[in-house]
Amino acid sequence: MKDLDFNADKDLAKEFLSNFADANGEAKYMNILQDVANHKTRAIQIDIGDLINYKDLDDEFLRRVTENTRRYIGIFADAIDELMPEPTEAFTDDDHDILMTQRSDEGVEGPDSSDPHQKMPSEIKRYFEVYIRASSKGRPFTIREVKASYIGQLVRISGIVTRCSDVKPLMQVAVYTCEDCGFEIYQEVTARVFMPLFECPSKRCSTNRSKGNLILQLRASKFLKFQEAKIQELAEHVPKGHIPRTMTVHFRGELTRKVAPGDVVELSGIFLPIPYNGYRAMRAGLVADTYLEAMSITHFKKRYEEYEFIGDDEEQISKLAEDGDIYNKLARSLAPEIFGHEDIKKALLLLLVGAPHRKLKDGMKIRGDLHICLMGDPGVAKSQLLKHIINVAPRGVYTTGKGSSGVGLTAAVQKDPVTNEFVLEGGALVLADMGICAIDEFDKMDESDRTAIHEVMEQQTVSIAKAGITTSLNARTAVLAAANPAWGRYDLRRTPAENINLPPALLSRFDLLWLILDRADMDSDLEMARHVVYVHQNKESPALGFTPLEPSVLRAYISTARRLSPSVPRELEEYIASAYSSIRQEEAKSNTPHSYTTVRTLLSILRISAALARLRFSETVAQSDVDEALRLMQMSKFSLYSDERQRSGLDAISDIYSILRDEAARSNRMDVSYAHALNWISRKGYSEAQLKECLEEYAALNVWQIHPHTFDIRFIDA
Amino acid sequence: MVGLPYDFLANPLGVVRSTFEKAVASGSDPASFDGKDWGIIDLFNDFLSHQPTLSRVHSATLRLVQPNTLVRFRGMIQDMFGNELYVGAYKVFLLLSDGSVWRTNKFMDVAQFPIDSSADKRMWERRLLYCVPVPGQNAWTETSSEAFMNHYMDWTSQQREKRRRADEESNDCEVSGDEVQCSPDTKKMREDEHPSLPSLSHGAMAESSSSGMSIVPGLDGSFLVKIYDSLESDLKLNDVFEFVGVLASDPVPQVDNEDCEFFEDPLHHLPPNKVPRLHCFIHRKLAVQDFLQNNPIIEPKPHLVKEIRDALLRHLTTVLGNDNVAAHFMLLHLLSRVHARVDALAVGKLSLNLTCFSKENVSVFGNLLSLTVKNLLPFTHCIPLTVEYLNTTPLAPRKDYDTNRLVTGVLQLAEGSHIIVDETKLEAGTLNSMGVENARLLKNLMELQKLEYDFKYYKMEMATDIQLLVLSEGKSNILPADVVVPFRPSVVSSIDAVVEESLQAWRWYLATVRLLPHSIESEMQKVVENDLVAARQADRSLNPQDFSRWLTMGRLMSLSFGETSLSLEHWQMVKELEKLRSERL
Repeated sequence: MKDLDFNADKDLAKEFLSNFADANGEAKYMNILQDVANHKTRAIQIDIGDLINYKDLDDEFLRRVTENTRRYIGIFADAIDELMPEPTEAFTDDDHDILMTQRSDEGVEGPDSSDPHQKMPSEIKRYFEVYIRASSKGRPFTIREVKASYIGQLVRISGIVTRCSDVKPLMQVAVYTCEDCGFEIYQEVTARVFMPLFECPSKRCSTNRSKGNLILQLRASKFLKFQEAKIQELAEHVPKGHIPRTMTVHFRGELTRKVAPGDVVELSGIFLPIPYNGYRAMRAGLVADTYLEAMSITHFKKRYEEYEFIGDDEEQISKLAEDGDIYNKLARSLAPEIFGHEDIKKALLLLLVGAPHRKLKDGMKIRGDLHICLMGDPGVAKSQLLKHIINVAPRGVYTTGKGSSGVGLTAAVQKDPVTNEFVLEGGALVLADMGICAIDEFDKMDESDRTAIHEVMEQQTVSIAKAGITTSLNARTAVLAAANPAWGRYDLRRTPAENINLPPALLSRFDLLWLILDRADMDSDLEMARHVVYVHQNKESPALGFTPLEPSVLRAYISTARRLSPSVPRELEEYIASAYSSIRQEEAKSNTPHSYTTVRTLLSILRISAALARLRFSETVAQSDVDEALRLMQMSKFSLYSDERQRSGLDAISDIYSILRDEAARSNRMDVSYAHALNWISRKGYSEAQLKECLEEYAALNVWQIHPHTFDIRFIDA
Repeated sequence: MVGLPYDFLANPLGVVRSTFEKAVASGSDPASFDGKDWGIIDLFNDFLSHQPTLSRVHSATLRLVQPNTLVRFRGMIQDMFGNELYVGAYKVFLLLSDGSVWRTNKFMDVAQFPIDSSADKRMWERRLLYCVPVPGQNAWTETSSEAFMNHYMDWTSQQREKRRRADEESNDCEVSGDEVQCSPDTKKMREDEHPSLPSLSHGAMAESSSSGMSIVPGLDGSFLVKIYDSLESDLKLNDVFEFVGVLASDPVPQVDNEDCEFFEDPLHHLPPNKVPRLHCFIHRKLAVQDFLQNNPIIEPKPHLVKEIRDALLRHLTTVLGNDNVAAHFMLLHLLSRVHARVDALAVGKLSLNLTCFSKENVSVFGNLLSLTVKNLLPFTHCIPLTVEYLNTTPLAPRKDYDTNRLVTGVLQLAEGSHIIVDETKLEAGTLNSMGVENARLLKNLMELQKLEYDFKYYKMEMATDIQLLVLSEGKSNILPADVVVPFRPSVVSSIDAVVEESLQAWRWYLATVRLLPHSIESEMQKVVENDLVAARQADRSLNPQDFSRWLTMGRLMSLSFGETSLSLEHWQMVKELEKLRSERL
């Protein structure tokens, strides 16, 4: 009854294998079978996803395959036996083939094919291994979630490999020859332990009652590579106050030697109980150990480009993209527990997004990764920001400058203790390739070590010429550094250059250098006091006034944004050029420059603008992007400027006035639109409120007129 | 047959079986019992509410307890072994009556009837927890073994009598069948127990007498608890629980590992004759109060609390050589606990660093202090911080993948434990990698009340709630405590023996008062805020941690008076204390 059922399913499997066409219309599985016939490959992976996509899918069949996978591997193997095409290419015969030809020659005159021990098991003839891999859709299980009800089913789980055994041979078909009758006797082994045969079961021996002695033929038997491993739950999957669970995994055949301890992997496999035998079965009759019979292995690669959307992410992102305020919203959702620092968060968001890499025709590459250095007084949550960014980024490495040497950051040539060969070992920056490398305590690094990352920051490669190894490794990382000022705290009596105390060659490589100073003012103190009191009283942080986006949504949005590569339209070129030249001029005028404006600065402006355009999901950079980029660059030194202005005796209001006047004079106009005015002053680090105050104050002095509705400014000719 | 329908105490498994059969007979599908029970937990709950004096099992008394009886065990969850799949229900063909019936294996390690491999069966799951006696548990929390034994003897003989009578009266073949099966097991069990007996009791003695510096799992009264059908989130690592269940009898001796796989099963290292198995019916999380011997006062009345507070403060002042300020801080410190976690912050902790100890007076005051703390709190520890100690002693638990177990560290402690770190013995030296790691762990524990468990491939942070007291010569930099108080003893006064009653009152006071709710009225809030701002305007170096500390002290101050909202008076006291302290710095 059941057999009939399985025969029907075998036909279904056959039909699927021969008829399934992939996206290109190729008969995927028949091509694989041809390769198997030509001895090019051994593994036949049947993807459940393909089964789902198969046009004549029988839902019941699919369910049976996923719930009784082990049985269906056999059914698929039988189906493949029947479908196996003739080899189209010549290949050299190995031992196995020679044995097979001999057997098939003999097989014809075999004495009694009805005896199960003498019928050649189909297993021994097979050159291939069948795997059924779970559909890659949906979230994989954690080990904790695989419960008793999943026994026998195909599951997909993620975990970290903690232990691996050596690869050992596992007998699949034991072959014996009988001393008396000379026949080959086959015994299929399904468990890990088997009882060898001692008496020849063939008809001739049994009729002669000779009890023919059997000799195990190791060369003729079929062995399978076998490896056992343990996987453990990933730290992020373990509920609070619990210990990570582990699971045993068995790898067979082609899947062996694919994992090493420490690998983060996603496995699909069949969850099975270990059959006990002998004494243990008696003892442990009640309890069953379980294991996962691996069917496929996927190593985790965390990169934006490979980010797979889960569930309704896509929908959510398109909804978010329509929201006009997405830039602010995303920025605020970074490290929501850190109060304030909106502009820094914006900068960090742009660091996550980055700009597209450009490769010029002559082979020159221009990096797209943004580098940011946060410099500031101790205790302004720099390290927390760094750690948070690493958590949000799909691939991030956190190191501290104190603890890492130059080779630790870039790459080291090491002698392998076992083989005595030199091997390359990538450092933190290489490991963070296509991701973010956060370096805390940047200022505490040795000068010599710091120079090692010059190359990484601009060329984005690590070159090694050591011990006979000359090579270049990719290190396309965005560097996020945090440093304290030269004397621990920012000393306002000294020049910024003295305080920052990093060589210009390094500083110019940072797109943004952010100064965060801890200043004394009543408001922030009160804010702090309130916060602490609130925390103590309500046992939670004060409400943020908004709901921060989940890190996963953030990641999804950023990865979508990273797929775009916006370009700068011709009309904007002039605008950017003039902005750049004005920064250069300003720096030339000032006697204590805060920044080293070089051509790199121009590239930085372009990069930040492009990142902003990416956030808007736009293919072209708009002027507003450039303005925001300039504003961010200005804001990064805001705490210094505001201080300087105080020293130069110029208050904010009159400074704003002079900015507006200068700009109006430069463009030779009497009218300044409010939007433009806001642009100009925000670039210098002033707020809208200050602008309004200035407008009112000077309007009262009859210096200009303000349009009552649009707030546009018209200078009154003096 | 009057009284209880079942013999819960001596034959709990009989209850399990008969109720199961009854449930199946009444038409329930055994498959539907997966993850549920058939009302048995309620039965036991009901029973326990009438029977409050159930024996509590410790390693010392274990040999006296019969297997397959109902026992109660207290312990801390030290490790979790994950799930175990077992044949929960199976069909048995009976010879007498034709046809087959369902039987269950729930709460059992051994099947009552041999299971036919082809029989219809249901796989269920249970969770395995490895429990140890609470680390650092002080002797006063235990009922003395002697008293327990006497009590137990009485009780068992009584029960035996009862049971025999019950058996005779009812010809229940079920129970008698059990008896037959049970007795050889017990014999075996006893035999197995005997060789390891001396070490067992010795371990237990050491544990209770020396406040348990070494927490070696294994022979020291650890239990393997099998939990059924409870939510995973109910039982967490390092929680202290009371389990009521069946003490299992596993008659099969340890299998030699001839065909053992490559990987070690953690259970192999815990043979049942060394680590007993407990099939748990009911579990209950314990708080510090549950460890007080007899709760003298039920309601915290203000005048009573104030009396106890004054007496305790006097005692602490004497212990601290008439240093009143240090005694005040000590009191607040003893009352502190982590009552909330906001982001990375543990709110409510108040670690204390008493400085200005010298090698000479630490032997006097340090010992006195640790003795006092030991007498007041149920779980205490002492860490003599030396370079060698840091370099050699693993402080954090670590996963051992060879045995697949969590190897405990000194700092794996239950909630509410108290540690005295004696830094005066620290001398200049070189830390190795372990020492550096340990110093970092201690610092994290102090600042964040979090401990990193080492899982080799990654670390996992576990939240802790441990009171830390540091004794040092100068301000400790390895252990940055919340409060640093220079210690100024004036006299070495002899301590009068403390009356047991007042000790009990103090224990009750410390355990109860710290759990009171606390709030700040909005007017008071204004005052506090203004004070904080003014303080920061005056001293720029104040940071949120200082503010946080003051508020914590305010909270503890009002709690110490048994009050639930901050009053101006108490806030002034806090400010006064801080002033006195800063004058000493």
